[in-house]
Amino acid sequence: MNGIPQALDALPILGVIFQLLGYTLANLSYMSQTTVAVAVPITLAALCGVMCERSGVVNIGLEGIMLTAAFVGWIVGAAAVGLLGEGTPLPFFGVTLPLMIGLAAAIVAGMVVSLLHAWLAISLRIDQIISGTIINIGAAGITGYVYSLIASQSPVGAGQFAEYQVPKGVADLPLVGWLINAVLSQGPIGLTTIVIVIILQIMLFRSRWGLRTRASGEHPRAAETVGIDVIRLRYRNVVLSGALAALGGAWLTMEHTNKFDANMTAGRGFIGLAAMIVGRWTPLGAFGAALLFASATALSTSLQISPPTGDLGQLMGHVPGEFWEALPYIITIVILAGLIGRSIAPAADGQPYERESAT
Amino acid sequence: MSGKLRTAFSLLAMAVMVAACSSSGATAAPSGSSLKIGVVTDVGTITDKNFNQYSYEGAKAAGAALGATVNYVVPADASDYTKDIQGFVDQQYNIIVTVGFNLGDATIAAAKANPKIWFIAVDVAPCVDATGAPDDTFACKGDASTLLPQLIGIQFEEDQAGYLAGIVAAAVSKTGVIGQIGGINNNPAVVRYMQGFQLGAQSYKSSIQVKTAWFSTSDLTKAYGDPTWGQTFGAQFISQQGVDVLFPVAGGTGNAALDAACTAGIYAIGVDVDEYQSYPTADKCIVTSAEKHLSSAVQATITAIAGGTAKGGVSKFNAANDGIGYSPFHNTGITIPADVQGKLDAAVAAMKAGTLPTCPATCGTWSGQ
Repeated sequence: MNGIPQALDALPILGVIFQLLGYTLANLSYMSQTTVAVAVPITLAALCGVMCERSGVVNIGLEGIMLTAAFVGWIVGAAAVGLLGEGTPLPFFGVTLPLMIGLAAAIVAGMVVSLLHAWLAISLRIDQIISGTIINIGAAGITGYVYSLIASQSPVGAGQFAEYQVPKGVADLPLVGWLINAVLSQGPIGLTTIVIVIILQIMLFRSRWGLRTRASGEHPRAAETVGIDVIRLRYRNVVLSGALAALGGAWLTMEHTNKFDANMTAGRGFIGLAAMIVGRWTPLGAFGAALLFASATALSTSLQISPPTGDLGQLMGHVPGEFWEALPYIITIVILAGLIGRSIAPAADGQPYERESAT
Repeated sequence: MSGKLRTAFSLLAMAVMVAACSSSGATAAPSGSSLKIGVVTDVGTITDKNFNQYSYEGAKAAGAALGATVNYVVPADASDYTKDIQGFVDQQYNIIVTVGFNLGDATIAAAKANPKIWFIAVDVAPCVDATGAPDDTFACKGDASTLLPQLIGIQFEEDQAGYLAGIVAAAVSKTGVIGQIGGINNNPAVVRYMQGFQLGAQSYKSSIQVKTAWFSTSDLTKAYGDPTWGQTFGAQFISQQGVDVLFPVAGGTGNAALDAACTAGIYAIGVDVDEYQSYPTADKCIVTSAEKHLSSAVQATITAIAGGTAKGGVSKFNAANDGIGYSPFHNTGITIPADVQGKLDAAVAAMKAGTLPTCPATCGTWSGQ
C-alpha cells in the first residue's frame, strides 16, 4: 500500500507535465515557424561538416565559410542591383536576376574558402583544427572590415527570396495543416535543404561515391590500395561541401533577412558542428539534431513571449528566464553526453593522408 | 607544395590579421589644434545608423567647430572597452566620449584614474560607491558629480520619447493589441522606452493591450546584434500575441524585427533615430520613431566643456531641451487619425512644463506587467 501516497505525491507533477503538453500543443503552430527558421542554417552547416568529416577532413571552419558566403552573396547581389537594376521578380519565390547572381556568388565564395581549407589540410597537411580556426578568424575579420568600409553607403542587398505560399485550404487542414504550413512556407533554400538531407543520406550510404567517401574517412590506406584517389576525393568533398555551408550563409542574408551584419552567423556554424556530432555524422541524424535544438529554442521563445498560466505558470515563474534560454544548449549537451550513446567519429577523421612514396 | 606557395599563404595570413586589426581603426582629422577628442563606441560598427554613428557625428561636428582632432575606436568585443579607453588616455586626449550603457563601468573607472581628462558617457547615469569606483550593486552611495567632477553622463529621458511613440502606436492600431520587444530587461534605457511607450499608448486609449517580450535574458549578441534572431523572434511574437503594431527596442536585432513586422503586414515603430530614413528596408511599415537626439546632445556637451561651462554628473536631455522627440510621419501610405497631432503637441507641451508623468515609480527597472 506504500505506493498509493507516493503516487498521490506525484500527481501535481503529472498535472504540470500535462499542462506543459497542453501548452505546447496549443502553441505548436507558432513554434513550428521558429523551429524551421532556426534549423535550416544549422542543418546546412552540419551537412557540410558531414561531407567533409566522412571523407576524413575535420572542418571547424563552417562558421567562417557561412559568414563569407553570407557576405559575398549579399554584397554581390547589391552590386548586381546597382549594375542591372532590380529586375522583375519571376512568379516563383520572387526570384530576380541580381538575387540569382548573389546566390551563385555566395556558393562560389563558400567553395573557394573550402578550397583554401582543403589545400591547407590535405596538401599542406597542417593541423586541420588550426586551418579551420584561421578560416573562422579570417572570415570574421575580413567581412567585418569590408562591411564597415561600405556600410556608410547603407547598401541594401538584392532583396530576398519569397516564401512559398501554402494554399489556404491545405494550411487549414485539421491536425496536419500547421505542420505542412510550417515545413513548406519557406523560400527556395529552406525547401532545398530538406531535399539535400534526403539525397545526401541516400548518396552517402547507397552510392559508390558514398562508399568511397566513407572508406577514405575510415581507412584511407586501404581505400588507396583498391584504387581510390584519396587526396582527390577529399579535395572534391571538401570543396563541394563548401557549397552547402554557403547555402546556409546565403539563407541568412538573402532568404531569411535581406541584410548583412558583422558576425551575423552568431555561432550557427558551431551549433551545426555539434548537430553533426549529435547526429553521428549522418545527414538525417544531423537534421534531427538541428530540429531538436531548434524546437527547444522555439519552446523557450514561446515560454518567454507568452508564459503559461496556472500551476505551470507559477512553477515556471520561479525559474529564471536564463534557464529557458539555455535550454536548447542544455538539451544538446545532455543528448551529446548520454542519450545517444557513443558518437564515434570516422576513424581517420582529422588525420592528413600521405601517400607512400613510390620507390 | 612549393615554397613559393607557402610564402604566398603566410602573406595571405598576415593580410588577414592586418585586416582584422584595422577593423578597429580610426580616421584622422586634420591636426593643428591642441584639443583632442576620442570616441570609444560600443561593439558593432561606426556606421550602424545608431548610437555609435550619431554619437561620433556629434563629436565630429563639435570638433569641426572647435578645430579639434576627433578620432574613434570600435572595440572588438566587451573585454576591450577598458583597453580602448586607455588607448586614448595614453595618447593624451582631452575629451573621451564613450558610447552606450555597456561602457559605463569602464568609463567610470577611467574617470577615477584620470581626473584631468573630461569623460562623456553617452546613455549612462554614473553610479559610484563612496570612493568613486563603479558600483555594480547600484547602491550608488557616492555622489558622482563631486567625486568625479570631470565625468558627464548624458542621459536621455527615453520614457518621454517612448510615450510619444506610444500615442501614435495606439492611434494606428485597429485591434487594440500592440507589442514591444526589448533587447534585455536589465538595460534601464531600453526599459524606460518601453515603460513610456506603455503609458503613452494607454493615455491615448485606456483599453489598449501592450504585450511585452525580450529578445534575450542574458546574451548580448542575441539581444542587440543578431538580425536573423530578430526576424525569427519577431515573427513568432507577432503571430503568437496577435499584435498589429510593433515597437522593437534592440539595435540590430530589433531592426530585423521591423522587417518581420513588414512581412506580417503590421505597422512598426522605430527607435533611437529616424528609422524610416536610416532603415529603408522597412520604410513601408514604419509609422514613426521614438528618437534620441544623440548627435546634438554629444555636440552640446563637448561645446559646453570647451566653453568652460560644463559640470560633472548627469546631463539630462529631454523634451525641454529638445533632446528627445518623435520622427515626422514620412509614410503617406499610413493614415494617422486626425486627433493624434493634437495629442502629441499637448503631451510635448506638458513634458516641457514638467506636468506629465511618462514613467512609473520603478522607472528604468522592469517588474513584469
